[in-house]
Amino acid sequence: MLGRLLKSTELDTRMLGMAGALALIWLAFHLLSGGLFLTPRNLWNLSVQSSAVAIMAAGMTLVIVARNIDLSIGSMLGFIGMIMGVLQTDLLPKLLGFEHPATWIVTLAAGLVLGIVLGGFQGFLIAYLGIPAFIVTLGGLLVWRGGAWWVTSGQTVAPLDDRFRLMGGGPEGAIGAAWSWALGLLACVAVVAMLARHRARRKKFSFPLRPMAAEILVGAVACALILGAVAVADAYPWPIGSVRRYVEANHIALADGALPFIAHGIAIPVLIAIVVGVKMTFLATRTRFGRYVYAIGGNPEAAELAGVNTRWTIVKTFMLMGLLTALGAAVSIARLNAATNSEGTLAELLVIAAAVIGGTSLSGGAGTVAGAMLGAVLMQSLQSGMVLLGVDTPLQNIVVGIVLVGAVWLDTVYRRRASS
Amino acid sequence: MTASTVPLVAMRDIALSFGGVRAVERASIELYAGEVLALVGHNGAGKSTLIKILSGAVQRDGGTIAVRGAAATIANPRDAKNYGIETIYQTLALADNLDTAANLFLGRELRTGLGTLDDAAMEAKAREVMGRLNPHFRRFKDPVRALSGGERQSVAIARAILFDAQILIMDEPTAALGPQETAQVAELVRKLKVEGIGIVLISHDIADVFDLADRICVMKNGRVVGTARAGDVTKDDVLGMIILGNCPPGASAGPGAMHQTPIKGPKAR
Amino acid sequence: MKKLATACLAGAALSLALLASADAKGKIIGVSWSNFQEERWKTDEAAIKAELAASGDKYISADAQSSAQKQLTDIESLIAQGANALIVLPQDASAIAPAVGKAVDEGIAVIGYDRLIENPSAFYITFDNKEVGRLQARAVVAVKPAGRYAFIKGSSADPNADFLFAGQMEVLKGALDAGTVKNVGEAYTDGWLPANAQKNMEQMLTKNNNQIDAVVASNDGTAGGAIAALAAQGLAGAVAVSGQDGDHAALNRIALGTQTVSVWKDARALGKTAADIAMQLADGRKMGDIAGAMKFSGGPKHVEMNSMFLIPIAITKDNLGIVIDAGWIKKDEVCRGIKPGAVKVCG
Repeated sequence: MLGRLLKSTELDTRMLGMAGALALIWLAFHLLSGGLFLTPRNLWNLSVQSSAVAIMAAGMTLVIVARNIDLSIGSMLGFIGMIMGVLQTDLLPKLLGFEHPATWIVTLAAGLVLGIVLGGFQGFLIAYLGIPAFIVTLGGLLVWRGGAWWVTSGQTVAPLDDRFRLMGGGPEGAIGAAWSWALGLLACVAVVAMLARHRARRKKFSFPLRPMAAEILVGAVACALILGAVAVADAYPWPIGSVRRYVEANHIALADGALPFIAHGIAIPVLIAIVVGVKMTFLATRTRFGRYVYAIGGNPEAAELAGVNTRWTIVKTFMLMGLLTALGAAVSIARLNAATNSEGTLAELLVIAAAVIGGTSLSGGAGTVAGAMLGAVLMQSLQSGMVLLGVDTPLQNIVVGIVLVGAVWLDTVYRRRASS
Repeated sequence: MTASTVPLVAMRDIALSFGGVRAVERASIELYAGEVLALVGHNGAGKSTLIKILSGAVQRDGGTIAVRGAAATIANPRDAKNYGIETIYQTLALADNLDTAANLFLGRELRTGLGTLDDAAMEAKAREVMGRLNPHFRRFKDPVRALSGGERQSVAIARAILFDAQILIMDEPTAALGPQETAQVAELVRKLKVEGIGIVLISHDIADVFDLADRICVMKNGRVVGTARAGDVTKDDVLGMIILGNCPPGASAGPGAMHQTPIKGPKAR
Repeated sequence: MKKLATACLAGAALSLALLASADAKGKIIGVSWSNFQEERWKTDEAAIKAELAASGDKYISADAQSSAQKQLTDIESLIAQGANALIVLPQDASAIAPAVGKAVDEGIAVIGYDRLIENPSAFYITFDNKEVGRLQARAVVAVKPAGRYAFIKGSSADPNADFLFAGQMEVLKGALDAGTVKNVGEAYTDGWLPANAQKNMEQMLTKNNNQIDAVVASNDGTAGGAIAALAAQGLAGAVAVSGQDGDHAALNRIALGTQTVSVWKDARALGKTAADIAMQLADGRKMGDIAGAMKFSGGPKHVEMNSMFLIPIAITKDNLGIVIDAGWIKKDEVCRGIKPGAVKVCG
């Protein structure tokens, strides 16, 4: 009965399996750490720690789906991060003045444009000159890392612009309780509207419909998850020191001397990641571009013969990847409050692993943005959880490596069973 | 018919070499509205290459292509489709990971007012077209990888006729089909012919060719041996053209003919 | 802190004394760089050049461009150019052996610069890396003599990370045993990446419910990551944090008060001292007779050699003037974002 209802929701069983695995991991860490893992604080931290990799994994999914790979993103992150660091601490203050309100937006815009250009350039080499993506981006890995050093001869750039830093999270870099609830409710309304619209369209063409119970179940679960996440983010208070500073700065009179409870709410980098996830899912599933990316992944020759401009499509996947790498760079340096030339080292491997754990097939044609982002959260959960347990880095790497291989093995088994 | 005076497609002196090997040399064919032109020859005779030039899949080195008498620029498959040239490839050229509707509309997706993919409309149209071609077809939600050979073939055919093709190229369209489905394709070809569509048919099956074709063009070693009306030559004549490159009296000889026999006009034998 | 500053001054005085005793004129000192592309070595070169010019000696050099092979021929060419002493920054410490052997055979003194060349006839000059760890721990203890300590170690793949940790532990052992200092967490930082240090610090703070008084971080990059994590909990400035390298960003943090100490190795002192020693050796002085020289056999093969270990300097808010006076960093870089009157050197 329950099984049939679950099946009638037409949800991706793979995705459900992954969510289940994530829940199991969380529960295990919670028990092993003596109740430290499933706390608002840790979950909030986890969400922020995952965001940069999740943002880039969304782009990597499309790159891999189209049968390519991008090994350069870690280095590109470092390079763009250094450029953005120097822009906001050195060049723009000279032009606009120290802590000018426009500094962050000009810096971010410049970084994003640079990302699109660098990604597009690599995409051009791959699509139009026919150099394999592996080679072009392996070259990029070396070139951009060298470039990152060159920007300041290896000097770390810090501290960053106060407004820019909000993209990295922290007490000020979160939107607070009220906005979080508002956004959560808005998201709920959007989910219900989407379900209703989908059903209406299918009805119009008199296609088979999901049972009403299934529709309600999907809507209710989605809303519960969204509002639950908001509740968790709102349950994490500002640390005492920050509250005290805030109270002093705003001259708030305290009636009984007790400090007020100020909720973090959803962190800005997490918000960025969520927006990226929604937009990229939309792009992948609802637009021609996305359709072409998947068609190229399934059969590049067929896509070409069907009249798809495959080369330009490939270039666009790399431009997107560059854009999201720049966004990842902004979040990373803002979070660290410093741009270092080693920023993003090995990030390409984390991002590729996230995409692959999330069900993206390296042979192309299959993968979802949401899966890749969930993969990023899963990997970060493993790492953060192990630090809580006092497991040191070498052992962490061993575990993450085994999980990566194991996840792909399970996926292979699943696909084989699904296709036979 | 006025249409028959100006050919729908005229390919003149088409040439293409791959690394010094002449795949197609001085090949000329004409296709008229409402006729089936069969293109026959051994593997490697150049017929697939010739039609790929027409469909924009490969670029020719030399020669001209005219559509309805006007010179046509075909640099890629998109250009060919703009001239109303649709192709059913031997490999079917389907994206195996996408479902039927996505394959049917690949490159020409229907969109909603907002510019997003209109999957419901595409699925509706797919159900309608597939219902005509293959009434038993049900698996609209599955990727085409999961379909049978015959079902996949009908998807490829459906895609070619979905967009009001003027010129239809069929490269071994019945290779994966059973007798019943083959008969269905033959039926479809006759129907399209009546609608005034010009069809280029590549087939290994001489019986098929004589069954469907109005004219037969034989290629060998990249050159056209000869072209004949189906009624003017026998199966043996055609086999002789394919194997030996002999051009029989019933055919007009091309540059690939070994032993040129003077043309004596139609019904000379 | 004052004591350290005095030690540094004493070091400077010592080298002045050495300079006075060197009576070389017109000697040629050859320097073989492993890869001059690295910005780092330009500082060293300037110091060496200045020291040699002051006493009228000649500086010749060659850059191996990261090739151990090229460095062998470089050294031969420096010998052929008539070098009286060689300063060698080896690309590959074992591959360099034949060239060093050849120089020694010709009676030319060889100084292994910053990296060990394990040859009993060579001199070894570098900074005392274990001392770096000790200085970090001492500076943190000076601020937080008791409390809950977290340790952000370097990369597990880098043997230096363990040296530093050993030095830190040496200083803290008594307090740890006595229980006044409690180790509440330690973690290696993969690849010395600040972002990894930040994540580790966040988890340690979660685990200890923010009850952390001091963070012994092994370099300035990881210190920066740890401080970003502390800042998110409103703790930056309230927790003592150590570092190393004298990164410009770290020196600014010291002025701002969010970082306690950065252990700084003055590359110019290293270059200057190496040049002094080279001139003395070129004059024929025996290696064992050089003032401050000591026996060292801590290399992989335990060969006993003459060596000199320079003491790095712990830079804190009180002695930021040292790095500014040394020309390592400009005053406005140190003082970026500092309110007037808050920090002495910033005015």
